[in-house]
Amino acid sequence: MIKIDNVSKMYRLGTIGSGTFKRDLNKWLRACFGKKPDPFAPPEDTNLKKSGGERYLWALRNISFEVKEGEVCGIIGRNGAGKSTLLKVLSRITRPTEGSIKGRGKISSLLEIGTGFHADLSGRENIYISGSMLGMKKAEIKKKFDEIVEFSGIEQFLDTPVKRYSSGMYVRLAFGVAAHLEPDILIVDEVLAVGDAEFQKKCMGKMKDVSQQKGRTILFVSHNLQAINNLCSRAIWLQKGTIHAIGDAQSVVNKYLGAFQKKLWKREWQNPHEAPGNEWLKILSVELIPHLDNPTEPIDIRTPLTVKFRFYNLNDHIHLSTNLVLFSLTGECIFDVPSTSGEFNKGVVEGECTIPGKFLNDGSYYFSLYFLKDASRSIFEYEECLHFDVEDYRENIHWYDKWVGAVRPHFPFTLRNYNVINNGVGVLKPHH
Amino acid sequence: MVEEKLRWQWEINKKTSWLGVSLKELYHYKDLLFRLVRKEFLSSYQQTLLGPFWVLLQPILTVLTSILIFHRVIGVSTQGIPPLLYYLAGICLWNLFSDIFLNTSVTFTQNVQVFNKVYFPRIIVPLSVVLLSALRFVIQLLLFFIASAYYYFAMDVAIPLNTYILAIPVIITVAGIGLGSGMLFSILTAKYRDFMGLTQIILRLLMFICPIFYPMSIVPGKLQWIIHLNPLSIQFELFRFSLLGKGQFTPDQVAYSIAATLVLVIGGLLWFNKTADRLIDVI
Repeated sequence: MIKIDNVSKMYRLGTIGSGTFKRDLNKWLRACFGKKPDPFAPPEDTNLKKSGGERYLWALRNISFEVKEGEVCGIIGRNGAGKSTLLKVLSRITRPTEGSIKGRGKISSLLEIGTGFHADLSGRENIYISGSMLGMKKAEIKKKFDEIVEFSGIEQFLDTPVKRYSSGMYVRLAFGVAAHLEPDILIVDEVLAVGDAEFQKKCMGKMKDVSQQKGRTILFVSHNLQAINNLCSRAIWLQKGTIHAIGDAQSVVNKYLGAFQKKLWKREWQNPHEAPGNEWLKILSVELIPHLDNPTEPIDIRTPLTVKFRFYNLNDHIHLSTNLVLFSLTGECIFDVPSTSGEFNKGVVEGECTIPGKFLNDGSYYFSLYFLKDASRSIFEYEECLHFDVEDYRENIHWYDKWVGAVRPHFPFTLRNYNVINNGVGVLKPHH
Repeated sequence: MVEEKLRWQWEINKKTSWLGVSLKELYHYKDLLFRLVRKEFLSSYQQTLLGPFWVLLQPILTVLTSILIFHRVIGVSTQGIPPLLYYLAGICLWNLFSDIFLNTSVTFTQNVQVFNKVYFPRIIVPLSVVLLSALRFVIQLLLFFIASAYYYFAMDVAIPLNTYILAIPVIITVAGIGLGSGMLFSILTAKYRDFMGLTQIILRLLMFICPIFYPMSIVPGKLQWIIHLNPLSIQFELFRFSLLGKGQFTPDQVAYSIAATLVLVIGGLLWFNKTADRLIDVI
């Protein structure tokens, strides 16, 4: 059981040099000789501010929540939302700037697997080293030694230095040690995102086992929302160092997904001077319309999507066409769909394209629109006009790893029994 | 209020204590302490041909070089003691200090990776350094005893056995100076990397203004105060006195050395405890 009470964490930005030395000296002198107010005291109000020539960042701000015994609590949020800082504060690696954390029970944190591993030493030695760093007693490790070895499947290599291990073996051994920790409170950072698919499944299974053991409290950070949904009873959504939402896992995850998707689903310009465009055309609006029954639900791989856009054509008698191009967030082109083309006069032109459901893979994507004259010359490129995420959806599939592939289409694909019958002429016939 | 206190077993807040974690908590981590000693010992001899023999080989080679340079070439007096024993005593004790000092001073800079990912009382690391250095020292001291036995029985060199006991407080004091100053430097190097280069220079300086390779008696009277500024100096004289029967010291010099040790150890320990948990933000 843990109670987090008004925890804040501030980091000083910038490099450490003569400036910080002067500050340290000043602080020290003031502590010794007088009690004048600290001119270098951090600012109270804003998230990021310059004060006395220094910049500060509140990585966490007034975080309060409680995790009950036996609860599995997931923490989600964008990069830089303070998730890792929170875990570090909870696991005593760094002190909070303000507030306190109270708890009951032995706490172990798993922020990295293979903590303390020494490359030159054997697997056997490293099991003991990593185990004792994670807070296990020698006797405990001894008791679990065979289990750990079996879990990681490295019997043959126990006495080989771990630097000669394949990366898979290394990860398996490291996780094997971690998985056999038995604290009352376990703090886990995104450590499951390693190893091959089979091993990830094993890890998730182990996590599930651990979480179902009685009285075990777990705090779990992950980007894998599927895993959060699966393992956690409650979730916390951190944003810019504060709690944005807290509650049961499913609803927080849905809120989280919803919030980020809506933001760039629609763009509209009232004032043509501010609108993107050039002497050929001005964009009026772009919109992504998902075909959802319930508008609060996130887009998942089943959702058909319609892209609608309008622009003002500034020239008469012009032959125009448009390409709608989808990119993954990493910049790989998924597809490039050309529109019909035609002759247009001055005025508003509207385009619409629908991408069927069960076609895109899960992931983050953006659209770009390319406008062409005479089907050959590019006259305007509107890059990254819409951003959206496609969530995963799986039914009856016990596979938690990322589904590979640029797209994930649902082609008809069947398996059936096939009986070979020799009818005398050497023809094979399917049996019905 | 009482109930509230009973409900919680621990609390983390911004306050760090001068005294650090309780002995009870420290005891809880004793397995880790011994594991770290073992890890360091094993890892320092991985992929070497001679392995742990280096513990002995290192002082032997140093002694041979010192005999060549200081005894043969420069001709420094060894006060009638066989040079091998003379230098070996000094080098063993110096190794104890420099091992502890150097390895403690990198506590934070060498362990950032681990300190960033897992909590345990940070003082465990300096303690493991002390234990490992003490282990090496004991092995090297055995070498010294074997050598003195040889000189005692085969060469008829007089060796005082009744002052051996005096060596124990000397060893503790020297280890204490190493630990205390090492802890101070571990914090300084963590914050300002300038001190990393400085540790090497300080170590060399201390080595020169310390009667390891020469007796105190050959230092000109006017300059002796410089040598005595180094709290280690008198300990080397005492060490040779206890093991070989030759040494020059006065009670106030010994008192100064012990006082300096206490200041370093207590100061280092308090500051280490107070800052250790906060340093991770600046390493």
